[in-house]
Amino acid sequence: MPDKTRFSSKQRKRRQAVDRTMRGVFLFCGILSALMILLIFYFVGQKGIQVFLPSYGEKRQNLWNFLTGMSWRQDRGVYGVGFIVINTLITSFGAAVISFPLAVLTGLYIVKLAPKRMRVVFTTVIELLAAIPSVVYGVFASGSITGLVNTIAGWFGQITAGGVGSLSVIFLLAIMIFPTICSMSIVSIAAVDRQLELGSLALGATPMQTNMKVVLTAARSGIFAGLILGLGRAFGEATAVTMVAGNAMIGPTINPFDPTRTLTSTMLAGLKETTGLDYDIRFSAGIVLMIIIVGSNLLIHQIRRRIGGVTNE
Amino acid sequence: MQTVTQTPPKDKNEARLELGEVAFDIRNLDLYYGNFHALKSITVQIPARQVTAFIGPSGCGKSTLLRCFNRMNDLIEDVRITGEIHMAGREIHGPDVDVVRLRTEVGMVFQHPNPFPMSIYDNVAYGLRCQGVKSRQTLDAVVESSLKKAALWEEAKDILDRNALKLSGGQQQRLCIARAIALEPQVILMDEPTSALDPIATMKIEELMNDLKKDYTIVIVTHSMQQAARISDRTAFFLLGEVIEFDDTVTMFNKPSDARTESYITGRFG
Repeated sequence: MPDKTRFSSKQRKRRQAVDRTMRGVFLFCGILSALMILLIFYFVGQKGIQVFLPSYGEKRQNLWNFLTGMSWRQDRGVYGVGFIVINTLITSFGAAVISFPLAVLTGLYIVKLAPKRMRVVFTTVIELLAAIPSVVYGVFASGSITGLVNTIAGWFGQITAGGVGSLSVIFLLAIMIFPTICSMSIVSIAAVDRQLELGSLALGATPMQTNMKVVLTAARSGIFAGLILGLGRAFGEATAVTMVAGNAMIGPTINPFDPTRTLTSTMLAGLKETTGLDYDIRFSAGIVLMIIIVGSNLLIHQIRRRIGGVTNE
Repeated sequence: MQTVTQTPPKDKNEARLELGEVAFDIRNLDLYYGNFHALKSITVQIPARQVTAFIGPSGCGKSTLLRCFNRMNDLIEDVRITGEIHMAGREIHGPDVDVVRLRTEVGMVFQHPNPFPMSIYDNVAYGLRCQGVKSRQTLDAVVESSLKKAALWEEAKDILDRNALKLSGGQQQRLCIARAIALEPQVILMDEPTSALDPIATMKIEELMNDLKKDYTIVIVTHSMQQAARISDRTAFFLLGEVIEFDDTVTMFNKPSDARTESYITGRFG
């Protein structure tokens, strides 16, 4: 005879009530976060798009000129993000090109090669790096990285504006996104099934071949997720970048020693009033930035699919 | 990554083991995990081009002995081995033995299918590529012949670029066998290769083993005594780190000479 209390209607009703309540709580949380995202999209969209609409009045901007403009002069009311988009892509992808291989190989070293005791130390250091506020990086970069870039420029016979410019931003962002990519790599490399490694070794592969061919391939999903997060940080970082970018008014800048301007530094720098065109157009730059981030995420997804010749899903 | 010169995966002068020869000659082998005495003075001879089954209850040392043959125990810390294992006249723990090369001679198939998260083609070509083979023609030929020998060609020939993880469990295990065959090993070790598979997939693997023993020496660890009886020529019964009995499978299952073997195979313990 089964336990009677388990099937009593009173107990069942109470369980159902708890179940319903909890479901309601979850639903509320879901709706709330969805609403917040929608609200942000609406606010940014409305603010950013309005400057191109006839209703904006005489200060109305031309969308095409805005997107292709190669000059941003707040003082003259000239707003073109064309060169800023290019500079943003150069600095962020430049930082990723430096940081990504270093971070992945560091992760591989920490998980697979480092002595066990060092592993904890390394992991802690990398987590700490990720926790440093960006303004601290900015202050550090303003003195150290700009000085370094100034010296490097000297080797090439180039003159810099005190070291600020593209290369400084690239170095700064490379350092800032390193812990993000590295800690994601550590997690995903550590999660690779030991059986895969044994399978590789049993086929006469050396430990190094196993690490490079099997472990990294098996961990690529997480590693590329780290790259996406890192690039997101590179695109989105404003404070520290503004401190070393130099905020050029024209562009694009191909010379790494010239001052540059990113979308984030544009949005941040020189903000005075929270009304009027000068404020509203920053949202337009924000929309462009969001589109770039979504676009580069899609690009990375495509790259990930190509690597190894098979889809991971 | 290591640069490897483009040499054939192994010395072609080396004669293949023939039926009637001994693949592994194990003499007084003892193995310790730390203080635990896992294998106790094992002395057996594994015949070439036959199927030898290792049976016995869990933890009796059969997988441990299997892993000695391709020195996978090297990867476990705190393992100490004394005694000798000779393969083709060489002691496989000897200083002149290259463990990487040994593992191309002695392939292994694991309990759970463990294909790499790559295409079917890349899985089969993996071992050769690690040996430095780059010629597309060679690889194409080996991939095809290996998949044929592993009875997977018909199912896989049109989807060679598909992720191996999309295959069913039984297909994955046959892929792992193909991956090992691609290196033309002398021996294929199988550590409970069908325990994660359904009966139909198991039957296919067993048929496959019967075909493969014409060319390869097969050593299989199994928990299923029916499987040992169905597929093996010789059976070794392990208990607490010792080989209690090693004989022709037919003799072993009909007239075991040791009382402990009899009580195990008749299901009185285990």
